[in-house]
Amino acid sequence: MTTVLILLPLAAALVIWVLPLNDISAGALALLAALAEVGLWIQMLVRFDFGQSGLQFSQQRNWFSDLHVSYHVGVYGFSVWLIGLTVIAMAAAIAYGFWVGRERVRAYMGLLLFLTGAVVGVFSAQDLLLFYAFFEAMMIPLYVLVGVWGGPGRMAATLKFVIYTMAGSLLMLAAIVVYGLSQDTFDLVQIGQSSSDWIFLGFVAAFAIKAPLFPLHGWLPDAYREASPEVAAILSGVVSKAAAYGFLRIAITKFPDPAHHYRTPILALAAIGLIYGSLLAFRAPDLRGVIAFSSLAQMGLITMGVFAVNDLGLNGSVLQMVNHGLVSTSLFLLAGMVERRTLTGELARLGGMARGRPALATVLLTTGVISLAVPLSSAFAGEFLILAGVFQRGWGWALAGAVAIVLAAMYVLRLVSAVLHRADGPAVSDAALDLRPAELGVVVPLVACLLALSAWPAAITGHSFHDDRAQADVARGFR
Amino acid sequence: MTVAAYGAWVCLLSPLAAAGLITLAGGRLSRRGSGYLATLACFVAFGGALTTFISLLGRRGDQRTAVSTAWTWISGGSYRSGFEVLIDPLSVFMMLIVAGVGGLIVAYSIGYMDGDDEERRYFAYMCVFVFSMLLLVQGGNLLLLLAGWGMVGLSSYLLIGFWHDRPSAIAAAKKAFVMNAIGDATMALAFFLLIKKAGSLDFGILGGEYSSTVANLVALGLLGGAVAKSAQLPLQTWLPDAMEGPTPVSALIHAATMVTAGVYLIVRTHAIFEQAPKVADLAAGLGAGTLLLAGLIALVQVDIKRVIAYSTMSQIGYMFLGVGLGSYANGMFHLMTHAFFKALLFMAAGIVIHALAAEQDIRKMGGLRHLMPRTYLAFLIGSLALVGIFPFAGFFSKDSILAAAMDHGAYGYILWVAGLAGTFLTGLYTFRLLFLVFWGEPSPFVREHFHALGRDVPGVSLAAPVAVLAGLSAIGGWIQWAPLWHPIETWLQTVAEPTVSPANWQEWVTSALALSLGLGGMYVAFLFYGPRRIAVPRFALPQRVLEHKFYFDELYDALFYRPAVWSAKALHRWVERPLISDSARELGDDARDLGGLVSQLQTGLLRTYALAIASSVAILAIVFVAVK
Repeated sequence: MTTVLILLPLAAALVIWVLPLNDISAGALALLAALAEVGLWIQMLVRFDFGQSGLQFSQQRNWFSDLHVSYHVGVYGFSVWLIGLTVIAMAAAIAYGFWVGRERVRAYMGLLLFLTGAVVGVFSAQDLLLFYAFFEAMMIPLYVLVGVWGGPGRMAATLKFVIYTMAGSLLMLAAIVVYGLSQDTFDLVQIGQSSSDWIFLGFVAAFAIKAPLFPLHGWLPDAYREASPEVAAILSGVVSKAAAYGFLRIAITKFPDPAHHYRTPILALAAIGLIYGSLLAFRAPDLRGVIAFSSLAQMGLITMGVFAVNDLGLNGSVLQMVNHGLVSTSLFLLAGMVERRTLTGELARLGGMARGRPALATVLLTTGVISLAVPLSSAFAGEFLILAGVFQRGWGWALAGAVAIVLAAMYVLRLVSAVLHRADGPAVSDAALDLRPAELGVVVPLVACLLALSAWPAAITGHSFHDDRAQADVARGFR
Repeated sequence: MTVAAYGAWVCLLSPLAAAGLITLAGGRLSRRGSGYLATLACFVAFGGALTTFISLLGRRGDQRTAVSTAWTWISGGSYRSGFEVLIDPLSVFMMLIVAGVGGLIVAYSIGYMDGDDEERRYFAYMCVFVFSMLLLVQGGNLLLLLAGWGMVGLSSYLLIGFWHDRPSAIAAAKKAFVMNAIGDATMALAFFLLIKKAGSLDFGILGGEYSSTVANLVALGLLGGAVAKSAQLPLQTWLPDAMEGPTPVSALIHAATMVTAGVYLIVRTHAIFEQAPKVADLAAGLGAGTLLLAGLIALVQVDIKRVIAYSTMSQIGYMFLGVGLGSYANGMFHLMTHAFFKALLFMAAGIVIHALAAEQDIRKMGGLRHLMPRTYLAFLIGSLALVGIFPFAGFFSKDSILAAAMDHGAYGYILWVAGLAGTFLTGLYTFRLLFLVFWGEPSPFVREHFHALGRDVPGVSLAAPVAVLAGLSAIGGWIQWAPLWHPIETWLQTVAEPTVSPANWQEWVTSALALSLGLGGMYVAFLFYGPRRIAVPRFALPQRVLEHKFYFDELYDALFYRPAVWSAKALHRWVERPLISDSARELGDDARDLGGLVSQLQTGLLRTYALAIASSVAILAIVFVAVK
């Protein structure tokens, strides 16, 4: 089951690359594959036994037996949700890319599908080398997607992105090799806990760049601004979660002592990123800048939840990963839809778009207020649990979170008002229509997921760890 | 499920269902149809509340509390909070007020918003508000209370900014939301502390034993939320600006229901405040301060809605005074009568504004008494109830709050004096408004713009709710006359036992004093603004201070908004750009200047990026070692 979930998009990518399809059929095939992937995931969700602990749907084949490396995949409760986020967000991205019509559709769609398979692989790999392979495989399509289909500054943005992530990956590779050899296995389930600070920091560096955590976010604003909207959506919505997943699955689970030693500095960086990102989002001059810096802030928050290492924080961060993934994907896609109509993302040149465009106004407002974590939304539930968890590690962390709650209200309302309210901006003409049915078909399912989660956040918080005891699960190493 | 629980769920969910229907139906539902649907939903909710009330009436006093859980809303380890409603005398009391007054105001909106381009959006927002407010008062645990708390803030934001092409409306909406977010944040912090200490957010844990530090901190956090939502010192500045919204919104959200939520919160969590008596005293003191401050500012306002808004702040000050002292039932009683007469005043003012082509400046009004006698009568009843003149509603509820202050030692007497002084101010500003708007000769502006209410659907929808509320404001106070009969106190006794019990002579003395001071204020208003109009004495400095609302806006701007903007700019200029974003480019330039590198792009960029990353990692290493 897990293997099928990984291979289906990879196979579809190959088919699209190889067959000489025309643009429409290539896009349609990609969308079909993405939807089939969602269907497969729903089946996995239904068949997953949340009452049971340990790995499910696991498959293992020897790879390099003398090094104890194997192809080992499987899922836990929380991975099911992250895979769900991936397949749904990717389907939305592919649908949007198909509708907008990118150049060289076959290459583009193939890369997006390849990326889907790689991310699902990251979330289900149970062998360190396999994890690394998927982690790298995830980056390659992204380099190309940003570098070829991006905006005018795409080359510089890609170069930054490549160098940052390569540096992280190399550190992680070194850490994996040392760790695996010293433990005599690369199997993530079997491998024992380690107390080596250096190996821990190697992993943390890679994940901190990918998330990103302050001050390693130098690649973020450019990449999010230059990429096409659906790629930016995937970068901030899905790919960043691979890093948070790494913190959860590897950093705190396999390195409990170093995680404990370095808790204060890591929480401090996360908290600084939370406030810093919120402040910069408040002054960012364009749509994507606001969303990009708010992503930095949100990843700080999620990291805080993970490094609180208690039931509240861990449950909250899994929920918040899904929330932020959906919110960020919707917001970047909506930003793309606005930019298509106005040819600019500059807030000063936008405005007044609510008048005569009820669908755009409703969807943007709903997503916006969820992203600022208005109480009763799923984002509120996630933030509340994270901050309640991190409060137990010191009230100051939660206080930083409380300040960020207020700042989030300020920057999200600024964004919403700048697009929708006041008189028409100079870039807004009457030719800028309301959202088309196809665009609604892309974002409304994402918003519907968010609303469903708002009604029942416990769908995730109560079904991520065995018996809801996240801390015990982590301490056991998920065995 | 019991009948009571059934009624409670119907009450909670019917406005939400209406909001969803209106949103999804879009253009398929006529504009007026959306108004009818919203009104119907509110009255269905009222029916549900009534069902619950009647079924609770039939139970013994100690069996009136129940929680009905639908599902587990969130969980984390052993902590969990359900999606559940609390059915008890206090929540039913609030449900009746919210759904009842809410229904009347939504019905009034059909007329008031008639002809607006976006009526459907308006009624959908109103339904979301009524749902949120019901969630706030019905929520079965503290987390759901906070959820309702935030949702009413959101609906308030949406409705203040309803006319979104007005920059002032959007600015006011944002201000209201952000100020309330500050309150939400302090409440959330209090809840984190409770989770840490008690492991739960059920209302039951409030009665537990806590150290005085914990009790004080939790009570302070809750009080922060209460003053933000109820526009009390020091988070009061958003309410007058909120008058940018349509008038029925001001009546419903910023007078009758949402802004009084802080009072409900204190009564609901009174067990914590009783363990933190200093914080409870602080709440009472803030109430007293606000009632004086708002009463003074109301004297110089020239916008009809802003005068009423300041009077709302002032009246909520009385409620805070009451519940801070432990006189819970009286605070809730005043909340109820205030909902009647303040909604009445706003809606009557709305009819005036409607009749004068949206003019709100009272300096342009005058002489409307003869043009709209029935509206004048309604406004007069509302004003008399507000000042607390026997036998109108405010008389019964306000005076017993002040009497309670006499049973609270020396501090209580200070508050008592402040409250009495406030009564004089209330008489003065209320009748200043009444005389300026309704007495005298019609001004040229009025003669030019006045148009009477029609007898069509909009006209009737405006008039009928006003008539109902006028009736309630006239006789609604007789439910409880503290020295003689007190059914509300008995009803709420199982939820919140009052901690003060004034003697009968204190009630009578206070009533006599308050009544004569209120009449005195009215007389002074009559001297200055009545038919004979003595010139109002001018004091430049105090007047300027009052017109600037004691400079709170300027202060907060300097203290919070500017630093936020400034630090965001500074971080961008001094950290983000030089150190993180452009580090590579600048380092590259430096390296070129040093003369080593010939090639421009290829190797230069790569190396300098590597250098940037390496230096970041080095800084990190140093930070880690230092912090560790």
